[in-house]
Amino acid sequence: MKFRLLLFAVPALALYGGFFLLPAVQGLRYATTDWDGYSPTFADVGLSNLTEVVSNDDLFRNALTNNLKFLLVVVLGQTALALLLAVLLAARTRGSTVLRALFFLPTVLSSVSVAFIWKFVYDPNFGLANAVLDTVGLDALQSAYLGDEETAILWVAVAQIWFHAGQMMIVYIAGINQIPAELYDAAKTDGAGRWQQFRHVTWPMVAPATTLVIAYTTVQSFKAFDLILGLAGNPPRSALDILSTRIYTTFANSQLGYAAAESIVFMVAIALVTWLQNRAGRMVHG
Amino acid sequence: MNRRDLFRIAAGAGAASLLAACAGPGGDPAPTTGSGGDLSFAHWRAEDKEVFEQIIAEFKKSKNFGVRQDISPSNDYQSTALQKLRGGSIGDAFTAFRGAQFLDIAKAGVSADLTGKAVLAGYEPSLITAGATGGKQLGIPYQLVFNTPLANTDLLSKAGIGEAPKDWQGFLALADRLKSQGVTPIAWPGGDAANAGQLLNVLVVNNAPTDDALGKIETGEHKVTDDWFLTVLKQYAELRPYFPDNATGTSSDAALALFAQGKAALLATGSFQIAGVRKLGATFPIDLLAPITTTADKAKYEGVFNATFILGVNTRSARQDDALAWIEHLSDPAVAGVYANGTAQHVTVKGVEYTNADLKALAPWLTRKTALAPRFQFTNLDIRGAVENATVQVAGGKSPEEAAEAAQKVIDQKKK
Repeated sequence: MKFRLLLFAVPALALYGGFFLLPAVQGLRYATTDWDGYSPTFADVGLSNLTEVVSNDDLFRNALTNNLKFLLVVVLGQTALALLLAVLLAARTRGSTVLRALFFLPTVLSSVSVAFIWKFVYDPNFGLANAVLDTVGLDALQSAYLGDEETAILWVAVAQIWFHAGQMMIVYIAGINQIPAELYDAAKTDGAGRWQQFRHVTWPMVAPATTLVIAYTTVQSFKAFDLILGLAGNPPRSALDILSTRIYTTFANSQLGYAAAESIVFMVAIALVTWLQNRAGRMVHG
Repeated sequence: MNRRDLFRIAAGAGAASLLAACAGPGGDPAPTTGSGGDLSFAHWRAEDKEVFEQIIAEFKKSKNFGVRQDISPSNDYQSTALQKLRGGSIGDAFTAFRGAQFLDIAKAGVSADLTGKAVLAGYEPSLITAGATGGKQLGIPYQLVFNTPLANTDLLSKAGIGEAPKDWQGFLALADRLKSQGVTPIAWPGGDAANAGQLLNVLVVNNAPTDDALGKIETGEHKVTDDWFLTVLKQYAELRPYFPDNATGTSSDAALALFAQGKAALLATGSFQIAGVRKLGATFPIDLLAPITTTADKAKYEGVFNATFILGVNTRSARQDDALAWIEHLSDPAVAGVYANGTAQHVTVKGVEYTNADLKALAPWLTRKTALAPRFQFTNLDIRGAVENATVQVAGGKSPEEAAEAAQKVIDQKKK
């Protein structure tokens, strides 16, 4: 009987094996070769690709650093902004529905459209950001934005936060609306002010939503590929290179074996960050 | 790490490896005998679509088949064309960028050998060398562009500049005079890596010890810390006051607009942007003006050209004869004239009559002493990126020496 039931899983297993497991194993295999992506033959290079990526590749290290900076800013910024918006807009008051829709609106755009919008904002000659600074007399603060080697990745992070904060706001609003009103009533009876109500009621009660928001934001941060290419062009300059764009450039360099090795390190980085987040989440929320 | 984490990691491994693994090595070539339907012509120039439609309509009258344009954005085309061409269903006839992509396509055996074909007789031999490798003509560069700054000659005249300076000091004096007139001397898209690198061509050709010096940086025979390249970087530093403020973040569209609106006298990209300038409504006369980076007696070149949009026949196509017929059609001087005048691009085809006013104005450059753009000698995008990034960093304020050291470190890791 059990065997017959297993037959129902065969199509799914075949698809999973053929389109997921097999390519994954092949990817591991290619990572140990010097395959250029099109030649019928290639040579085994053992673990030298992986060793090179980990120990001696400044461009990969630069992309990893950029990605971690980007991740940190986006996770902190997006979580904080989403929570703030959710707290302000959770109650159904006059205009809150319109404001929620406005903040959610960027989420429905394609990342390419978002890139175009922010390219316009950041352009130093015709862009909105410098124009606003000029209008309010703060022209000394004008910047090259995406052309600034030190801060370029942070400006992309701002665009990413704008892009997804509305979506995370909805998650938080759903979490806040699940909090029993009695808890707030009890807190008020005990003399808690708005900040204390937030700190001792809202924040602990939306902890599961925070875990979800951080996990989703992390994944989005590693997937910011199209936003980066839209803003920075292809290949992006080193100041805007992140892991996914780095792998893409290596692929375009006809170094598929090396790109596969970079993908493996990329995967390990994601796994490590996710694992650390889970551990941190458990420590904070128990 | 629990079992769930292990499953997550396994899933991540699969996802990360999927991209790299989905295309396996090898694969048999498609049969080489014909089939019906439209021929596939793969290229990246969406802006040429209408002109090509016009040319295709004429072509169809004399053939029993049409041509379908398979157009990809240039970034995608750079990265994915080879894999598509290998499949054989896209790109019976195709185009390639000069440099890394053309060489990769040639190496993969996807370009049919056109050596000795009658179609080559219609081209200027000196202009199609970029389509040859390993002693075979594997493609025909079709477009002839000048990777030399565009000049608004009205603004130059207003600043009292009659003719192009013959040396570097003269160029800086020109830039100074333009600036004193309230004009931005040079619009430069420092924020757009692809176009920011065009200026490198003209700053290198007269400074370099040999014509293939940039390619030799890739092989390790030259370094960016060599004196000649440091001179290039120092000249970028000297140009800082003449770029717009925050030029390192300027996009290509913004630089184009600055020039088209008459706010900048030079546009440091190339003739391929003239059509874009005109589209923005510019009516002023345009010429080319290359900064001569040496003293007049040491200058070997007056500017830079590039031969690109390399036409090829796909060896994986079942319709190679039809693809060649399409390329022969494009090689007809009358047809090439339609393409050239319709797109404001010079072509490498002999005997073309240019009626477009801008092409006519730039026609003298066809016989001037120009060098084949050296930037495309790079075949490794990482090395090219490191070198170009150094120039942008210097324009942004970094010292030439520091930028060169950092770039050389990357080059040493990535060179063949």
